[in-house]
Amino acid sequence: MTRVNLQYYAQLREQAGASTEQVSTAAVTLRDLYDELRARHGFTLPVDALKVAVNTQFSDWNRALADGDTVVFIPPVAGG
Amino acid sequence: MMRFDLTAAPADLAKLREELQHPGSGGFCAFEGWVRNNNEGREVSGLEYEAYTELAIAEGERILAEAAERYGVLAASAVHRVGDLKIGDLAVWIGASAPHRDEAFRACRYIIDEIKHRLPIWKKEHYLEGDTAWVACSHTERAHEMEAPHLHGHHHGHTHTHEHHHEVTAKEFTPDYSRQTRLRDVGASGQAKLAASRVLVIGAGGLGVPVISYLAGAGVGTLGIVDHDVLDASNLHRQVMYDARDVGQRKVDLAARRVAALNPSVQVQTYAEPLTAQTALDVFAQYDLVVECTDDLASRYLASDAAVLTGTPLVLASVYQYEGQLQVVTAVPGEPCLRCLWPDMPAPGLAGSCVESGVLGPVPGVLGTMQAMEALKLLLGLPRPADHALQLVNLLDGTSQRLPIDAASGCALHGGCVAVARAALEQAQADGDIERQFHYLDDAIAAGYAVVDVREADEITAAPLHVTSLRIPSGEIAACSLAGIDGPALLVCASGKRSTHAARTLRQRGVDAWSLAGGVAALAPGASS
Repeated sequence: MTRVNLQYYAQLREQAGASTEQVSTAAVTLRDLYDELRARHGFTLPVDALKVAVNTQFSDWNRALADGDTVVFIPPVAGG
Repeated sequence: MMRFDLTAAPADLAKLREELQHPGSGGFCAFEGWVRNNNEGREVSGLEYEAYTELAIAEGERILAEAAERYGVLAASAVHRVGDLKIGDLAVWIGASAPHRDEAFRACRYIIDEIKHRLPIWKKEHYLEGDTAWVACSHTERAHEMEAPHLHGHHHGHTHTHEHHHEVTAKEFTPDYSRQTRLRDVGASGQAKLAASRVLVIGAGGLGVPVISYLAGAGVGTLGIVDHDVLDASNLHRQVMYDARDVGQRKVDLAARRVAALNPSVQVQTYAEPLTAQTALDVFAQYDLVVECTDDLASRYLASDAAVLTGTPLVLASVYQYEGQLQVVTAVPGEPCLRCLWPDMPAPGLAGSCVESGVLGPVPGVLGTMQAMEALKLLLGLPRPADHALQLVNLLDGTSQRLPIDAASGCALHGGCVAVARAALEQAQADGDIERQFHYLDDAIAAGYAVVDVREADEITAAPLHVTSLRIPSGEIAACSLAGIDGPALLVCASGKRSTHAARTLRQRGVDAWSLAGGVAALAPGASS
């Protein structure tokens, strides 16, 4: 299991009901992790509508998770 | 209907009012001037009006035409009595009808002030003591001269320059920029740079309000302002340069008036229509910097493409509930654009908006203020971080983080920002001629479109439309006659791609066919299930 810190923005924060959480996951890649979270929190956004950053760098969805990673999911927002 | 009359007999007020009825009018305002029993401490028994009739009528009609021009009234008339009048008699009647009450009120006020000021009508007062005197009517205060320079509120043209409106105030006011020129990095030379700058602000809403206010205050020479909306009461909690009296008026006019009041030395150019793929490049080319402040993803993508293609720096921001995102597109070759981050526009239903999700007023206030700051830094050449980042700001927990954008993994993989922007703009130009945007299909039907659902049967079952529609799968549209359809057809699919293609096919056969932009995904939540 990998322990990671998660940060959510915008719709994801709303649907998760929190800005941050710490999870232990069996997911190998960021994509697997998002799929897992999507099932848990009922996220409506598909993975290709999002950006993901790990340790303050934008990242590829196929990146492997490492213990202690801080993962940020960023949806596009349109408000003005 | 514009008519000015002089009459020796009492006017038929019901008839006058009736004549100003107009289907486009939502507000009617009338003013009556009566003969009162005293003037300047003397008791008056009656009075007598004398007019130079021909000139009074010609000038009166000019005043009505001016009121129509200034305030957009749809109908106005005025009647002035001549001859002998008793206490309580009606001396003058003015009526104006306009789309909104504010225009009707202002027009009414303008007409009476100008009549008193300009018309060759003389008043002789009869006093209780038996003597009489001619009284001047001309030294009246005109309320509209006290207003901020007024802007024409009803033109349908795209562009107005408001330079000539500044004269009155500009003469009396010299801007004092000492608090910012005292900054060593600004100084007189920085101020001169600002004065020579032309900045376009797209959107005069939650983000645009602080941007416009700070850039005008800072003395940016020319501000272009794009907005096609009128002010709604629901805007006021975050769009703090407007006030309750402004509801219903065009934001471009209100914003231009606000800038003229804040800093009369700033020139304002307004655009009351959204920029399009056809117009954006020409408009961007006239500015040194663009600040994108709309709540519209399509506008943001168009702005990024136009910025890249014209080499104009662009400051982007968007907000959601309690947080926001900020990105500066420098439009320098090799530096990232919006598409380097999000290559294609997300389906409109996927991006959060203020209308659907709510927003707290200070959130666009903060992000718009940050945009103004970035704009000033760029214009003044102040130090900025060397890397390019998406800045995320969360105002609930007070955090902010900069996520560097790697240009090499963005548009560079698809031929570079310029090639990507050019292809996107060409596509948008082609689509712009065939797409129609609706959040609710009821609006399309109300606008006369027949809705044609070109999705497959299983898609329709999964997400049926809540309006009457003709069902013709896109693959069969070429063979279909569409004989039952009157007027334009609006084709609908899941994302807008198939319907655009099908609409093109139908047009080749002479059918007046259109495609719902963004498809079912672009409809408001709940507009399909």
